[in-house]
Amino acid sequence: MQIFLIQLLNGVQLSMLVFLLAVGLTLIFGLMNILNLAHGAFFTMGAYFGLVVANKTGSFWLALLIGPLLPFVAGMLLQFFVLQPLAQRGRSTHLDLALLTFGLLFATAGAVEYIYGSAFHSIGTPDLLKGRVALLGIEFPLYRLFIIAVGIAIAAALVLVIDRTLVGATLRAGVDNREMVTALGININVLFALVFGFGSALAGFAGIVSAPIMSIYSNMGIGIVVTTFVVVVVGGLGNLKGSFYAALIVGVTDTLAQAYLPEAELFAIYAMLIAVMIFRPQGLFGAAGRVA
Amino acid sequence: MSTDFILTRDKRVGALKRLPVPALGRAYAALFGPFAVLLCALPFFASGYVVTLAVEVMIAGVFASGINLLTGYTGLVSLGQAMFLGFGGYGIAIGTALLGWPLWVSAPVTLVLVAVIAAAIGAICTRTRGVEFLLITLAFSQMFYGAAIKLRWTNGSDGMTGIPRPDLSLLGLNADNPTAFYYYVLSVAALALLMLWRIVTSPFGSVLVGIRENERRMTSMGYAVANYKIGSFALAAVTCAVAGILQSQYTYFVNPDAMSWQMSGEGVLMVIIGGANVILGPLVGAAVFVVVKQALSMITEEYNLFFGIFFMLVVAFFRGGVLGAISKLIGKRHERA
Repeated sequence: MQIFLIQLLNGVQLSMLVFLLAVGLTLIFGLMNILNLAHGAFFTMGAYFGLVVANKTGSFWLALLIGPLLPFVAGMLLQFFVLQPLAQRGRSTHLDLALLTFGLLFATAGAVEYIYGSAFHSIGTPDLLKGRVALLGIEFPLYRLFIIAVGIAIAAALVLVIDRTLVGATLRAGVDNREMVTALGININVLFALVFGFGSALAGFAGIVSAPIMSIYSNMGIGIVVTTFVVVVVGGLGNLKGSFYAALIVGVTDTLAQAYLPEAELFAIYAMLIAVMIFRPQGLFGAAGRVA
Repeated sequence: MSTDFILTRDKRVGALKRLPVPALGRAYAALFGPFAVLLCALPFFASGYVVTLAVEVMIAGVFASGINLLTGYTGLVSLGQAMFLGFGGYGIAIGTALLGWPLWVSAPVTLVLVAVIAAAIGAICTRTRGVEFLLITLAFSQMFYGAAIKLRWTNGSDGMTGIPRPDLSLLGLNADNPTAFYYYVLSVAALALLMLWRIVTSPFGSVLVGIRENERRMTSMGYAVANYKIGSFALAAVTCAVAGILQSQYTYFVNPDAMSWQMSGEGVLMVIIGGANVILGPLVGAAVFVVVKQALSMITEEYNLFFGIFFMLVVAFFRGGVLGAISKLIGKRHERA
């Protein structure tokens, strides 16, 4: 029972990490109709930039703060100068853009390997979050609890921003009727670039948050991005709240499968996704339309 | 070849136009004849290295042609076709090594099984479209990739070795000889492409193109669109499995990497390079891809980096592909004349 509880918490912790990636992916898809297969690249980018900052300053917190800036800028530039112009030229449908980002994913992994080699790196756990806490009769690493807290906090903040603020209202309007938003004097291209950058920054943030418990290496983004795809499809593409619940389901399923059914480790979440696709092709939470 | 035509979208009316282009047909025929002769005579004058490259091109070309049926003609972009490449290789590996069947039993059984499995997978995948289709095909291939890594009786991530090449002793040939193997691959590839050509020029193929251009209209015309999509999915899968069989015979082994999603991406890339919805496009794309890959591997070890950049450039600036560019050129001249 205690082991089960630990595995369950590990699953929730993985869920929160994947959720941070899924947010960006699903926001970008919901708003711009772009499936950003390169989302994992920003995860890698953030982690490595965080590593550089951490090595320079010796501070995990500075890395956490500064690290996401690079993916933010890179994502913004990608959307504004590459994807948006291509989409507007009408030459590329959203499927072509998905393929373009597929190339970007591998190019980034290759570039990182070229610069940093294929060695594994890691950022040390900050002193403040070292150790374990007693919880419901088990000992659980404090840092993993921190990840869970961060995930929940960001989810809550996003719901507040999207449901209760002007920015959120503009975003929701942009999903429903792009022309109308433009007619109201909002520069939708800049808004799109900002959201793209924000989503990328969150992915990079996830990369740094995961650094103390998972390794940093050149292909780290390629592995996790597929799990993220499973989350956004199960949650319904473009559905923010759906991706939170879906992240929980996928993260816990994956962790429990690893613990109790190691044979099915690489298998379980895909089997689950396929089951979902058979019964609800629009995703488990996709019925109510896109939330964001 | 005067019946040759290209299907294009007329930009002015946005409708599907069936262009009878005798000039284009003649140009293809004029190119095709010498090309076929060249392929048949290649081992007589080219070096062993070139023959090996040609084998790789043809295998990749069959793989890409399978993807083209689904992506180019039916308009369903899949990032999971490598799973069928793997099925082909694993199919004959399991058949010959584990079950002890001869190759001439294993290969047909593999292809039939792939058709049945692909029909089932296709029935699920084709319930979605667009990027969702792309993601679910990716998920399926990742699932089988994961299974192939875990399965102990196929040696997990090490894969299976000792895959037999066909016994050509009746013809007085030994398939372990590169030249003999070249002709074996050439015949299989030619057969596969001929079959695909028959498919896309048949009424069935026209329905697939119709689905790509306007699915709703095809539905209202009374076509069972879902069944056609599943059919296209299964035929594409079988073609990819043929490529998988050839590939595993070429290298004498198969491992889970054959099913990786990078492999699927490479196939899609070949289709885009060559030009989707032209029957020989994937073969041209495969040739460009294999040669570029060879050249890259000579000058750099950072394959991923250049693969990614190459991929992005092709998608962004090279949409019609090589044959698309040629068609446009000939089409323009034809219009002027």
